[in-house]
Amino acid sequence: MPDTVTVVRKPAARWEVWRLTVFLRMEVLLLLPFLVFIGLFEIYPLVNMAIRSLFDQNGVFTIQNYVNVFTESRFRVAIRNSLLFASAASLVGGIGGTFVAALAVRLPPRWRNFLLSLYALPMTLSGLVVAFAFIVLLGRNGVLNLIVRRIFDLPPTVYFNLYDWPGIVMVYAFFQIPLMTLSMAAVFENLDPSLIEAARNLGARPWQVWRYVVIPVLLPGFLAGMSIQFAGMMGAFGTVLALVGMAKNLLSLQIYSHASESTYNLPQAGALAIVLITITATALALLSWGARRLARRGT
Amino acid sequence: MIRWILFIFLVLYIVVPMLMPVIFSFSVFWQDILPQGFTLRWYEAILTRPANYEALMVSLIVASSAVLLNILIAVPAAYALNRMGSKWGQRLREGAMILPLVFPPLVVGTALLQAFARPPLALTGTLWMVIIAHTILGFPFMFRIVLAAFQTIDERTLSEAAASLGANLWQRMRYVLIPNVLPGILSGALLVFAISMGEFEVTSMVAGFTAQTLPLRLFQQIRNDMRVASAITAFLIYVSFLSFILMSYLGTRMRRLRAV
Repeated sequence: MPDTVTVVRKPAARWEVWRLTVFLRMEVLLLLPFLVFIGLFEIYPLVNMAIRSLFDQNGVFTIQNYVNVFTESRFRVAIRNSLLFASAASLVGGIGGTFVAALAVRLPPRWRNFLLSLYALPMTLSGLVVAFAFIVLLGRNGVLNLIVRRIFDLPPTVYFNLYDWPGIVMVYAFFQIPLMTLSMAAVFENLDPSLIEAARNLGARPWQVWRYVVIPVLLPGFLAGMSIQFAGMMGAFGTVLALVGMAKNLLSLQIYSHASESTYNLPQAGALAIVLITITATALALLSWGARRLARRGT
Repeated sequence: MIRWILFIFLVLYIVVPMLMPVIFSFSVFWQDILPQGFTLRWYEAILTRPANYEALMVSLIVASSAVLLNILIAVPAAYALNRMGSKWGQRLREGAMILPLVFPPLVVGTALLQAFARPPLALTGTLWMVIIAHTILGFPFMFRIVLAAFQTIDERTLSEAAASLGANLWQRMRYVLIPNVLPGILSGALLVFAISMGEFEVTSMVAGFTAQTLPLRLFQQIRNDMRVASAITAFLIYVSFLSFILMSYLGTRMRRLRAV
């Protein structure tokens, strides 16, 4: 009889709902240490910094700190240098790392794992350690400079200059190339060889295989890796400071010097930091937008 | 063939720069192409000169505290966020990864410096501030590794299986979850420890004279005394190297566990 059909509410259902809410509450409870810690020691200080950057050192509201960033030549030069430096270092790291990863995935598993473990090492190394290592290796009287001079019988005025932009980029490459290697190795491993084979079987030429199969698969990962590189380089200053002190003008060094050195002016440092965050966030957004667009077109 | 030449070149690219401070630290002096003599004097200087020794102790305290705090903060957070299936969970997981990119150590340092400069929380320049800063820097690394551990063991299915066999929350934690993610937690701990031991950027901003860590000491020594600097540098390389060896050991153990 169809009219006697009634919905029987299972007693278990209510129990399920109850258990789910308890679980949810427990999860929030477990998140609490994280939320409190990040809230108090990361979000609050950042918001505080953003607000204080709008006041001068006597507590009067002003946008002068931001006006300074775009009118004073030392800040404008710093921003320009930082953009150029971060782009150059990211490109060197990005291309170098992609190359290393491409080689790594062609090695037998044992050697690939060895190479990738080795390239994970710089991640934890102090910027000062790397600066010191390169001073010994390539400083004015560094070992490599001595060897080259000895071989070609050159005067001591000839040396690779570690203390100019190309040298600084080269030292940072020691961090950036391994970092990119690790992200690209994962991307290359996801590249399905049968896809390439299928394209070849369908008569694609080598450049067509690259253009329509390989690059669309690699590019999103490459761009993701590049954003990590660029963001990291915008904020980097430890190694430069160890190599050349304040002789080079970078946005990160300006922030550092306004926050903790002789030119102490925290609201100004805050304004510079906000500008730095804005630049980084814009670059990240652009790169992730590009990656998403490409991902959509690639499939 | 070319592949292997390139391979050797790539290995040397990492190994040679790392060997420089090590060789330097064992040699009496190194002015020419080859270093001369063998000595442990520069290592002795770390232990015998009070300023160096104190810096070493401060670094060890800071690194251990950052590891402990991160275990307390990141492990429960990774567990909870791994269970959150909703859009919120996804957003929080991504946010925790992007946060350190947008807010580099430099910016976090500037912000911390300003926020805790006066009472009630006058932490700037104290050991506490250094510990807090290192915990923040280490968090994404710990979080990512532990989250990956929860994901690879398929925590939900395991927990449900254990629960259906009658295990209560405590038993599930004790006999199922913790043993399974322990290699992940230990790997994260080693990574955070190594990063903290070498951290210079934030430390130099928030640490006063009372909280001189080993890298801060190294920064002064690079200008004053390259010999002692070489020993400190070499020591920091050993720390990174050892933690990576332990991590890859844990990694192979994890893989083996998964295979079983």
